[in-house]
Amino acid sequence: MKRILLLLAIALTARAEKIVTLDALNDTAEIFDTKTKTATRIATKATPVASAFVGNELYILARDARVLQHIGGANIAVAQDPAFLGQSEGKLYVYSRSLGMLEEIAHDRVTRRASIPRFASDLEIAGTSAYLVYPREGRIRIVDLKTMGVRGEVTVGAVPVDLAVAGGGTALTARILAVADPSAKRVWLTEETQSTAKAVARGFLRGFLGLGLFGNRSSQFPTGVDRVWIRGKRWFAYDTSSGTLYSFTRKKSSVLARNVTLNDFYFTDEGVTLRSGTSVAQTTSDE
Amino acid sequence: MKRFALALLLALPAVAQTTRIASDFELAQMQKQLESSRSFEAQLSGRLNLGDVRTARNELSLARIEYQKALELSEKERRAARLDSHLTRYAVATSYAALARAKLHRPAEAMQLLEEALRYASDDPETWNLYASAMRILGKSQKAVSAARNAVAVVDPAKKLDLAIYQHALATSLLEAGDEREAETLLVTVTESLRSKEFERLQRDAAEQEAFEIYSSARGDVAAYVSLLNRAQLRLASLYESRNDLAKARKQYERVLAGRSDDVMALTALARLAPNDAERERLYADAFAANPFSLPLIREYRRYVREHPRTTGGTAMQRALQQLEHGEMRAARETLDALLATFPQNETLRKLRIEAESVTTIALPSATPTATELRVLLDAFERLTPEQRVTLDETGFTSEVQFDGEPGSTFESGTIEMIPFRFAQPAQFNGTFETRARLTYRILGVTRAGDRDALLVEPLRLEPNR
Repeated sequence: MKRILLLLAIALTARAEKIVTLDALNDTAEIFDTKTKTATRIATKATPVASAFVGNELYILARDARVLQHIGGANIAVAQDPAFLGQSEGKLYVYSRSLGMLEEIAHDRVTRRASIPRFASDLEIAGTSAYLVYPREGRIRIVDLKTMGVRGEVTVGAVPVDLAVAGGGTALTARILAVADPSAKRVWLTEETQSTAKAVARGFLRGFLGLGLFGNRSSQFPTGVDRVWIRGKRWFAYDTSSGTLYSFTRKKSSVLARNVTLNDFYFTDEGVTLRSGTSVAQTTSDE
Repeated sequence: MKRFALALLLALPAVAQTTRIASDFELAQMQKQLESSRSFEAQLSGRLNLGDVRTARNELSLARIEYQKALELSEKERRAARLDSHLTRYAVATSYAALARAKLHRPAEAMQLLEEALRYASDDPETWNLYASAMRILGKSQKAVSAARNAVAVVDPAKKLDLAIYQHALATSLLEAGDEREAETLLVTVTESLRSKEFERLQRDAAEQEAFEIYSSARGDVAAYVSLLNRAQLRLASLYESRNDLAKARKQYERVLAGRSDDVMALTALARLAPNDAERERLYADAFAANPFSLPLIREYRRYVREHPRTTGGTAMQRALQQLEHGEMRAARETLDALLATFPQNETLRKLRIEAESVTTIALPSATPTATELRVLLDAFERLTPEQRVTLDETGFTSEVQFDGEPGSTFESGTIEMIPFRFAQPAQFNGTFETRARLTYRILGVTRAGDRDALLVEPLRLEPNR
């Protein structure tokens, strides 16, 4: 599940992949069934910004109405400026940005609340950890969803904006985070429990991507990238300012599409597909 | 940058524009400011101000040009900031690019940019404020309320002027969303706060600088203070008036005029609430002198003229409106043409000019013509076909007329159903007649009687009124 502004939330139901497109301006959602090729449009509460499936049940977060809508079910009131939605173990988590509140929702009601620092620019959940990105502070905070408390933080980059979980997280390895930093014009890779400085110091030299590590020192992302996605072995980054979609590895980046908006593409487990129907990246070609 | 941004929050959607309109002098000052400054902030605020002023004057083509320039400026700044890795600048420029797009009625693009700015600056109340402003322009009142609430929630309450600006923006959004109760509470808070000793220094500075200009994109605390007080009082007054609490409304409008004696909205409102016609006409004259192109003023005044058909005089625009309302389309066209020669880009004038041409098909009057039939003929006489002219020349009409002058046997002019007419020369009739009589006549054409269009009539027979 990935929230993309205005617009895309993608999830798999038990039977078929469904793509949910949110129109935050006009307060509608379109649910497209990729198997039957049918679309259903529904009206939402004000400003739908994120959606998620729990099983077959669709939830839409309507920011300006301050509700989490269970489509066909209840409207769950949440705190002011609910900007991000994630899920873990069948529960949903809503982060309210201006207020600094993380709310856990189970069975269509808020079961727990916790005050978390305000003004995060992204929320990602992996396992029982939530990762929040703070651009002003150059910091990522990690929330333990079992205790609903901040259990650690990582300083990374100059202005980190977006995050994706890039692997790890086993009993032996720390989770690895890919962090888009448009100020540094890089995607940082860092372990969840250490600062970049520490990572570099102990030889975690994979610590950053985007520089021409094996060539000159100029960035492979000329105006920086501010969004990052991991899909299997494929890594994607996007520069909102220029509308450029990249595929990248630890060694290089390549442009997949130029002058595209976030509405123009979506991700599946196999890669990324342009709205025109062109599949521009698949998992079949391993790096 | 901060105060610049704050002041931009004051921008209002064009459709709901209730602000005063800058005079030509002020437009010239704004142009001069643009020419003398090179910074992004000064250029952008100048363009947005000019666009808003043009919009308020209903010069929409010129407004679009200014907004387009504001968009180009902010896009250029956005790209430069991104290349410089200056993400705060990038967020600010992105917000303004969004605002410019909203003003250009490109809603989807505007919203995408607003969301983009929030990723970097959700802790900045001005970013939320701009979001709210753009949503108001786009008519998305619930989204505007939500964004404005966030601005109030994140602003440092110790920054009193900032807080007042954001509270005012929230009140504005609430009013547009139909929530008057909370809006009133906020507006009272804002106006009382601005008039309190907390703002003593700014009050003193405003007086010393003789600051009175009302900007949608003010720069500096004094300009923001003066503009905010003006807007907040106007909104509160309007709210009171809508509830028929006229004493409170009048008090707020008078406070607006105390700050700026030629505020067109306050003058219009006070004219509407005036205790007598003499006072009302004086206030209307002042309002038209301040801004002859204000659409609310024009609507208001036309209604007044309809209810008071003998209204005459005033500014050229007032005369044009009187002529339109009296159905004197020919005279209206002449008056409007003269105004258009001075203000060729003004779309209010253009629309009125089209209205003055609105009669398209002409029918000859009946044998005992009504006022409407005669009015249509008077306004579009030159559009008669040659065949209609021949028929008209051969047709006699009969009407009750009111002659000018005293009872007697010689008359020269008068009115038929309030439509002025005159003879080619004084006509002497057999007998003595009251000034109200029954005239049979032919219509020869159109002439002038005083400052009004009149029918040129050839008398055939005069009888005492029945």
